Amino acid sequence: MLSVEKAKTPAARGPWFWAGLYLVSSGIIVMLKLTDAIPATVAMILFAGAMGLLIPLVRAGERRNCANPVMVRYNRRFLAACFGYVLGLGIAIALWNTYEPSGPVVFAIALLPTIPTFAMIWAMGRYLVEETDEYLRYRTVRAAIMSLGGVLTIGIFWGFLEMFELVPHIWAWWVLPVWAGGLGVAQLWMKVRGE
Amino acid sequence: MNNRLKVLRAERSWSQQDLADRLGVSRQSVNAIETGRYDPSLPLAFTIADLFGLPIEAIFLRDGDSQ
Repeated sequence: MLSVEKAKTPAARGPWFWAGLYLVSSGIIVMLKLTDAIPATVAMILFAGAMGLLIPLVRAGERRNCANPVMVRYNRRFLAACFGYVLGLGIAIALWNTYEPSGPVVFAIALLPTIPTFAMIWAMGRYLVEETDEYLRYRTVRAAIMSLGGVLTIGIFWGFLEMFELVPHIWAWWVLPVWAGGLGVAQLWMKVRGE
Repeated sequence: MNNRLKVLRAERSWSQQDLADRLGVSRQSVNAIETGRYDPSLPLAFTIADLFGLPIEAIFLRDGDSQ
């Protein structure tokens, strides 16, 4: 009876449950924004709320990985940077839309979402420095290099397609989410291959 | 590079996790080394050799050398 009740509590859910819930929530918010059902500010607030799902996701992942302290520190640093990013981006967009700033103020506004992304990169760097298990470090470095290759390939190809006016312009900050996505794909690929 | 890690571990009735705990590495590391998917660094190879009380060349073998 106790185990049945425990299984129903949020803490007992696995990381895939929370990851799925987060992706579905984010997908619905993106759809609502793309169809103009909600304004950008509301979408940003909803997205910040959906990011709250990352907390149980990280905790569930930590339980499954027997809480490697280096990975725990990385997860928490990265999560804090993600919250800072959403907050900074929301404030920057609100300031940009409300006050039509110019000059050095725009530079400062651009820093609001930029600094948290630097924190994400710093968190990844600290993980590599602090990870004492050479095999896990090797796997992460390998995945990072594979993902970097993907970003360079896509970036160069897209750049020329854009130059010849075949595809629309994409902002350069997309390199980080594309690289982070590639990192996940590379790790999955290594896992599938049994590496 | 081939190695005799799995045999040496089995002789002591250690699980991969037991060996990993003794070496201070993850179970994935032990598994990757045993299956030849990862060659350890010299410091880790010396740690493994010290743990089993054997010289490195008695544990790690060149490709083609018999185990």
